[in-house]
Amino acid sequence: MAESTLALRARGVRMEYRDRSTRERLVAIERMDLDIPHGEFVAIVGPSGCGKSTFLKIVDGLLPATDGEIETGGLGKGPDHAMVFQDSSLFPWYTVMGNVSYGLVCQGVRAKEAHERAMPLIRLVGLEGFEGKYPYQLSGGMQQRANLARALTVDPELLLMDEPFAALDAQTREIMQVELLRIWSQAQKTVIFVTHQIDEAIFLSDRVVVMSARPGRILADISIDLGRPRALDLKRTAAFTAYEDQVWKLIENQLTPVGQGSAQG
Amino acid sequence: MMSQALRRTRQGHPPSKRRHPNADQGARFTVPNEPLVYGVIGFILVLVLWEVVVDVGLAKASLLSSPTRIWTAAVADFGSGVIWPQISTSLLEWIVGFVLAIVVGIPVGLALGQVQRLEFLVEPWIYGLYATPSVALAPLLILIFGVGVEAKFAIVFLEGVITLLISTIAGSHAADRRHMEIAQSFGASRSLTFRSVTLPSSVPFIITGLRIAAGRALVGVIVAEFIAANVGLGFYISLNGTTLNSSRVMLGILLLGVFGIAVGQLIQRVERRFERWRPAIH
Repeated sequence: MAESTLALRARGVRMEYRDRSTRERLVAIERMDLDIPHGEFVAIVGPSGCGKSTFLKIVDGLLPATDGEIETGGLGKGPDHAMVFQDSSLFPWYTVMGNVSYGLVCQGVRAKEAHERAMPLIRLVGLEGFEGKYPYQLSGGMQQRANLARALTVDPELLLMDEPFAALDAQTREIMQVELLRIWSQAQKTVIFVTHQIDEAIFLSDRVVVMSARPGRILADISIDLGRPRALDLKRTAAFTAYEDQVWKLIENQLTPVGQGSAQG
Repeated sequence: MMSQALRRTRQGHPPSKRRHPNADQGARFTVPNEPLVYGVIGFILVLVLWEVVVDVGLAKASLLSSPTRIWTAAVADFGSGVIWPQISTSLLEWIVGFVLAIVVGIPVGLALGQVQRLEFLVEPWIYGLYATPSVALAPLLILIFGVGVEAKFAIVFLEGVITLLISTIAGSHAADRRHMEIAQSFGASRSLTFRSVTLPSSVPFIITGLRIAAGRALVGVIVAEFIAANVGLGFYISLNGTTLNSSRVMLGILLLGVFGIAVGQLIQRVERRFERWRPAIH
């Protein structure tokens, strides 16, 4: 009964792979236990190569875990989960409409109906009037709006977001963060948001999960009690900065003295 | 121009590299559609030079001919109509063989790209035939199909289909890993993945294949007609070559060039139609 209120239940997830050139066995994820209740916004942060994106792919079913179990629990009729990919992951040969309705077409929905059902989501992400444009005609921020709409169109319970704003410039990224919160409050989804941007993780989330350097495991699971709705000036408050310091210290300890990769990207 | 630039400098606008005084002068000579205008000028310049070189006796007209001599030959042969069967026969051979190559090559190439083991199975034959010059194959095909158009269809088809197979197979493996992941993530069926990712990703490769195949097919037509034919542009060139009629040889070559350019333009149209989603390169 308790399980049914969880959107994600991960137990002992382990990921190993063999390096192609050295034939060495590498452990990408040591052990991940993670419970996420319905409706929660959880960010996963960690140094580069800590396996956070790998974990998301395992949840999405794109990669098979070496060990452990993943349960995703849907409430409604939609699929359990959908992925918002990193930048430039729209199909360049489809228009915004073609891309956003893609998930529905995958489910066997006829094109005409898929287009009708995609329209409200295109409106929600603020792309009305751009349905007929091709991705190359859109800015990076608009492309990621379409990317988000594509995942929302299939009405998933769990939204998996893999560094969706990493390639955007700083200002666009902040605008998109605010936009994402607005869309999230309307769409009422559970979100796992992978990022290496500490302020982004804190600003968006109810919880920030901090992962260690490879092999990845959970170092800390921090509740962010900053209330909602949130506006950008929140980032300048003392409470926010305190969270930033707390997360940064955890990650800083993970970085080797020579500094192979920085958490701030 | 110079004084103007200097005055500007004195007024406190340092001349940047872009506003070099000479740049303004260069800009005054800009003409609309530069590539076309300069292309035509370059073409005509060579024709004039050619004519002059032959007329002043620097080169033998009997070997090199000259633009006016070619023109005279063209007027004669188009006037009498003897050149039309040569053109239409070569054109027919090329079209039939090339269309067959498209109809077979693209679907089979896509299918082979989907079934890896089958691809490995036929690969040595495809690459072997691709590496074989058609000159070597032509006598055999003429033995089998005779001196008529059928042998030429076969050669053109073979040249075209092998090229198209290679490029189409390459294209069917060209899909971006990220795009495949998206299809997988949203649970696309195998056939939808093929239609929505594999096929669009292969288009640039197929178009390149068409371009190369068109050229190789034309070589096939001419080679086959050189070896054994009694009509066709290759036959026309070869016959007039043996009778030392260099003007008609040149005319034949010129017609082939015109044909090559026309086919290139046609393929470019097809390309534009299929790649609306690409930003214009220029």
